[in-house]
Amino acid sequence: MIEITINDIPLKVEKGTTILHAAQANGIDIPTLCNHEGLTLDGNCRLCSVEIEDMGNKKIVASCMFPITRNISVETETERVRRARNTVLQLLVNRNPKAPIIQQLCAKYGVDREERFALEPDLCIRCGRCVRACEAGGTKAIELVGRGFDRHVAPPYELETDACIGCLSCATVCPTGKITYEETPGKRKIWYKEFDVLQCKRCGIYFATKEMLDWAGRPENDRDHCNHCQKYIESVKFLTESQKK
Amino acid sequence: MEMILLTSPEKCIGCGTCELACSLFHNGECRPAISRVNVFRFDKGSNVPMMCFQCEEAACMAVCKTKALVRDEETGVVQVEEDKCIGCRMCVMACPFGNIAFDRVAKVAIKCNHCDGEPLCAEFCPTAAIEYVPADTATLNRKKTFSAKMKQALEEVK
Repeated sequence: MIEITINDIPLKVEKGTTILHAAQANGIDIPTLCNHEGLTLDGNCRLCSVEIEDMGNKKIVASCMFPITRNISVETETERVRRARNTVLQLLVNRNPKAPIIQQLCAKYGVDREERFALEPDLCIRCGRCVRACEAGGTKAIELVGRGFDRHVAPPYELETDACIGCLSCATVCPTGKITYEETPGKRKIWYKEFDVLQCKRCGIYFATKEMLDWAGRPENDRDHCNHCQKYIESVKFLTESQKK
Repeated sequence: MEMILLTSPEKCIGCGTCELACSLFHNGECRPAISRVNVFRFDKGSNVPMMCFQCEEAACMAVCKTKALVRDEETGVVQVEEDKCIGCRMCVMACPFGNIAFDRVAKVAIKCNHCDGEPLCAEFCPTAAIEYVPADTATLNRKKTFSAKMKQALEEVK
């Protein structure tokens, strides 16, 4: 165990815990956008910046990426932190004025939008959560491509790809709601690709794409029902057995 | 001590109290559609309550890439760590019993977790059709006899 202080509160943490986790576990609020507990660390949004004092040196670090290995003191609300965080928010709100989460954060930290550079309003903050989620799932269908202002998320060559299985985890983890998909009965469209969505033979809901079932290794002869109806079918077996007793 | 939820379909009266208790505890509303336990009602008053079996070799856990599904070593229960779930629904695809679902509102996988040691379905079941009992030899034998029969029945179907 290592003794640290966060905002002058003494804490004991396991070696290797990140500052963000230590703070969250003790009810100290640090804003973050790119961090997701299920995904690899990336530390690219810099919103979770905090100021640490490590052996006499004060510096700003991204708390989500900083493992605690020795006694440090952390401050989450100093002038320097506030300035760093507000700059990040200022840049984010410039390009993504309509993203609800960014509007909330700007309101919370008192950041007003100032026109900095003329860019098409967007919703993507290039946090790469979707890319990391796709990678974690093993499908690796999308990537951040292009440089500078042109950087964006896309499947290879901006074309439909066999790698995408239509699982929608990219859309689920997106913090701003940039990633959208079209869902019509029997069809799902995401990343330029149209999927056939299988219909449950009992209740009729559209429950999954064939590619998702393939990816999860579901046997070919066992794909007719949604999870609820599968449960029903199991219960029929259950009932027949209990009546035999 | 490992505990299990033991269901006895012959005792179930299909009242659905377990579904209400479950959804109220987990989601704060009485909505059987998002309940982890479901009661299936058949003709002649036959009813079957169904919930996650907490499989020893859990297909959902095996397929989860972000380790959002973890087994509590002490209780043997497979838990969903919600903040790790990325909503890929592979667990839903993989479970052969349909005992894990995806909450489209909260965007996380949902499954029975024995209410962290105090299962409300068992507590509120008026006829003890769902019981929360220690996984000792007697109950396990009862389960084993039953699963042997199930296996036989499944082979007959094939």
